[in-house]
Amino acid sequence: MLYLLPAFAVYAVFFLWPTWQMARLSFFHWDGVTVGSVAGLENYTRMGADPLFWTALTNTATWTLAAMVVPVVLGLGLAILLSRSALFGTTLFRTLFFLPQVLSSVVVAVLWRWIYNPSYGALNSTLESLGLDFLAQGWLGSSSLALPALFIAWSWTHYGFVMVVLMAAIDDVDETYFDAAAVDGASFWQQVRHVLVPAIRGPLTTVILITAIAAFQVFDLVYLLTNGGPARSTSVLAHFMFQAAFHFRKVGYGATIGVALMVMILAISLVLIRVRRGFEEEVV
Amino acid sequence: MSASRKTVRSATSTLTAGFLSLFAVVPLLWVLTTSVRTKPEILRDPLGLPTEFHFGNYVEAWVAGNFSQYFLNSLLVVVPTVAGVLALSLLAAYAFALYVFPMKRTLFIVLLFGMTVPVGILIIPLYYQMLSLGLLDSLWAIILPQLALGIPISTLLLRTFIAELPGDIIDAARLDGCGSMALLWRVVFPLSRSAMITLVILQFMWIWNQFLLPVVLIQDRDARTLPTALSAFLGRYGTDTHLLMAGAAISFLPVVIIFVIFQKRFIKGISAGALGSV
Repeated sequence: MLYLLPAFAVYAVFFLWPTWQMARLSFFHWDGVTVGSVAGLENYTRMGADPLFWTALTNTATWTLAAMVVPVVLGLGLAILLSRSALFGTTLFRTLFFLPQVLSSVVVAVLWRWIYNPSYGALNSTLESLGLDFLAQGWLGSSSLALPALFIAWSWTHYGFVMVVLMAAIDDVDETYFDAAAVDGASFWQQVRHVLVPAIRGPLTTVILITAIAAFQVFDLVYLLTNGGPARSTSVLAHFMFQAAFHFRKVGYGATIGVALMVMILAISLVLIRVRRGFEEEVV
Repeated sequence: MSASRKTVRSATSTLTAGFLSLFAVVPLLWVLTTSVRTKPEILRDPLGLPTEFHFGNYVEAWVAGNFSQYFLNSLLVVVPTVAGVLALSLLAAYAFALYVFPMKRTLFIVLLFGMTVPVGILIIPLYYQMLSLGLLDSLWAIILPQLALGIPISTLLLRTFIAELPGDIIDAARLDGCGSMALLWRVVFPLSRSAMITLVILQFMWIWNQFLLPVVLIQDRDARTLPTALSAFLGRYGTDTHLLMAGAAISFLPVVIIFVIFQKRFIKGISAGALGSV
């Protein structure tokens, strides 16, 4: 079909070709400038033995697991609040709650750098004015707090997605189910648990997995706010890949991390596709 | 439930939502209020409100940050990329939705593969590809990969949309002797307009905010886009909070304004993108 040609040409040259190149590079030692040498599987064995890789993988996995809970629960809670509790100004609130999602990561970084600033930041100032001075911290400078602090900033920009998708899903649920439950004397929370959540479990699973995929490749906020530090406590895979290739000039090794990242994201996506298909068949 | 209890519950919900929304909105309002204060004022009381409005900060930030250049660059990236994604995806989606051809399923799966891979992961090979094409530091270096990465999701969504158009209209047009090009141009294109607008808004937001590609592929300061320009601005004026906030406001206000105007389509597009149909 001629109609496919332009799209596939661009897609092949600027997506499939780099993908192939990345896989190929992972079998070479290369500093990006001189002639490289064949590495065979050395980059892969090196990755398996590299403690820095395992740190980045652990941080990424922690981040991803937390992402499947925190922004999802926030988004689901807000979706229920806005769609099911008969409040005034649903559209206005939806707009306000969604605002952080449309910001670029640099704006988000500027904001949260200010919030976490140890001397005049909003967080510490608020704690002090509440008389909780002892809780004030150098949030991003602490190797135990920096990762959770970054994660909170990231969640701030991701719950909105969950919220709007679930609001759309909740609006599609047949109102008579809720009426029937209400007639049976189900309380608001019983309705949520036994009617609403089961009715939207397809979209709910979908947003959990999409959020997990976004979490797995997190880069921007780490790069902008902590650069992986302090003491690699915020090192994540995408950032580690970037550092390996562009700071340490180990392009082949960077590509190997990229391949690992891609395989893992692909695995999550396959689960997503399978789950989605499962729900579709159930409906039919 | 009695009417008065219902009112009480609505009021409680509204108040709860109002309180919670502060967490989403206050940081942005703080950017706006700080952006019109003076530096000594901010040092004295970081969280305070402006006593008078120094809109001159915006002029200063705009000039110091060379934002007119970067605004233009961002537009020069976003407009052709979005237009290209839409045009190429419409053609492909049309073929996938209405025609039968060999290898259709295989090609479709190849395309779906692109939906699962975020562009950032390919940054290493893209860098060397752009280097060998001589496109580093040119806006093409960030246009072309984003064009490629925008095609899968847009094609998928448009295909679903076109496949759901009423079959009688398409059949009638075919009976009237419409060729496939005329069918696309006179029937499918006008009917898909709403889906296309939704996609334009979605792609606009993604491309406007893209950060990793320009960080790596564009070193030349004249070719920066707004996000990387703001990040450089942050490095240079990190202690001039008033200028920094004016710069941040300059870069987020366009997206926020467009979002507020088109929020229905935005939100529809986002849920459609997640759930698989426009």
